[in-house]
Amino acid sequence: MKEQTYMTNSQRKSMRKNLFIIGILCLLIVIVFMISMNTGFIRLSPLEVIQTLFGSGTEKQHLILFEFRLPRIIIAVLVGMGLAVSGCVLQGISQNALADPGILGINAGAGLAVMLFISFFPSTTAVPVFLLPILAFTGAGITAIIIYALSYKRNEGISPMRLILTGVAIAAGISSAMIVLTLRLSPDNYQFVATWLAGSIWGSNWKFVLSLLPWIVVLIPFIFSKARVLNVLNLGDLTATGLGASIEKERRVLLAAAVGLAGASVSISGGIGFVGLIGPHLARQLVGSRHQYVIPTAALTGGLLVLIADTIGRWILQPSEIPAGIVVAVIGAPYFLYLLTRIKD
Amino acid sequence: MTVLTIDHVAVGYANSLIVEDLSVSIPKGKITTIIGPNGCGKSTLLKAISRVLKTQSGAVYLDGRAIHQLQTKEVAKRMAILPQSANAPGGLTVFELVSYGRFPHQGGFGTLKKEDYEHINWAIFVTGLNEFKDRSVEALSGGQRQRVWIAMALAQGTEILILDEPTTYLDLAHQLEVLILLQRLNEEEGRTIVMVLHDLNHASRFSHNMISMKNGTLIKEGSPEEVMTCLNLQSVFNIDARMTTCPFSKNPICLSYQLNQKNE
Repeated sequence: MKEQTYMTNSQRKSMRKNLFIIGILCLLIVIVFMISMNTGFIRLSPLEVIQTLFGSGTEKQHLILFEFRLPRIIIAVLVGMGLAVSGCVLQGISQNALADPGILGINAGAGLAVMLFISFFPSTTAVPVFLLPILAFTGAGITAIIIYALSYKRNEGISPMRLILTGVAIAAGISSAMIVLTLRLSPDNYQFVATWLAGSIWGSNWKFVLSLLPWIVVLIPFIFSKARVLNVLNLGDLTATGLGASIEKERRVLLAAAVGLAGASVSISGGIGFVGLIGPHLARQLVGSRHQYVIPTAALTGGLLVLIADTIGRWILQPSEIPAGIVVAVIGAPYFLYLLTRIKD
Repeated sequence: MTVLTIDHVAVGYANSLIVEDLSVSIPKGKITTIIGPNGCGKSTLLKAISRVLKTQSGAVYLDGRAIHQLQTKEVAKRMAILPQSANAPGGLTVFELVSYGRFPHQGGFGTLKKEDYEHINWAIFVTGLNEFKDRSVEALSGGQRQRVWIAMALAQGTEILILDEPTTYLDLAHQLEVLILLQRLNEEEGRTIVMVLHDLNHASRFSHNMISMKNGTLIKEGSPEEVMTCLNLQSVFNIDARMTTCPFSKNPICLSYQLNQKNE
């Protein structure tokens, strides 16, 4: 290409390095995918897995892989992607490396909506699952609107710092409301809600995949198309305005997209925290801070993280399970502490 | 000829107006410098001019059209802004940060075109950053970093440059380098430059036009000879200044000063 002749060698090298990292992450997802397919109460060898995937397994193998494991694995990857990209956007628009859907109260808002629904319509099997992401999105959206409205000031717009602080306060408020609500749940529903809050991939069938997939497929490419805007928003409001970004409008649109992703993901996975925080952090460590690379890398690290967490959660205490959210926290917390020790002021 | 007109502008933050009813015009193709004591509203005025702050009344006109009604991207193609304190996110190289200056000219995913590369490489060259091109911005000294931001504003390729204290963090030689660069851009390419400077002598030496402000109002506007007078400096800064002539530019400069003894 003609343009490439203007690139210096080291620019070309860093571009190749970034694409290489993205390739490696894809490969890792495939590897963990195979391991995960092989993990569970009934063990299948990698060969049997491959045979079954290509259509020549026994009926039982087929059932296990296609009806139980595959949808769950796909959901784990999609949820991880959604949360990580959502965190990436939130960190970008708030100019704060600590922002993620959990901290901003968006997960809690989605959780509250799901919980209200469950406590009033207790039988989850009877409701169309397509409703859950919409429900979670509504909860997340209302929370986001409240946070946005409370941190908005005329003539000044949104201050990123106010956005974070309001989010933290709202999250705390909603969490306490949820605790009050759990008191009036039946033991069965309480069990479901408790697991849900801990972040477990409870909806593991194709219906859930289908209800989550459109959100991911539409919103992640949309956010990717805004990579340049996120780049300049990162430079601060003054610089971004000077460069001609309509910061208020872009922020609103990006916030809505992030809320959509987080809401849809959380509705199926429950409150998996940390992924929205650590996914983008890992991505920036790997590929620098340009969002053209950070967004796809964050999506892949997020997907990989939740997939690994879910696999470990299913394997470690067989035949019972640990929610993926807890495993993510166990892996994520030490990594996060490690990050904090490395931050220079 | 006027390129920017500030017309009865009132601007400030939520509950406090910093600038009330200020009118002044910025001549095209000249260097205009705003001076005044801390908190006099220089930066606030600059933010109003650069549409970062909305005016509460009055308006800023760019070639006769109200700036808030223009597409922000269109304004960005004509006017670049260097804010007072800018932070680069970690992990960016000099080239990458300067390339962000092309934002208003790009569409879609932002692949850099030949023209973009030319602007970026030129901006890096004139700010003397060629050898740092592929270095991380974080690893640079304060002065080098300041030049990277200037390079980003230059890469934007605009006819108007607005700079809020472009020489802070720079040592004496680098301060002069930046000002000479701005002077060259003005003389050779006819760019309009509006800036805030703290150093009165630099302001006098490099400006065609000076605006002195105090408490959000305009005290005096005009050529360095008109603004850099004992009387005016006394009323703006409350100092007793001794003036002389710059041996290089023949403009009036302040040799030394003491605090005003008299009460106001």
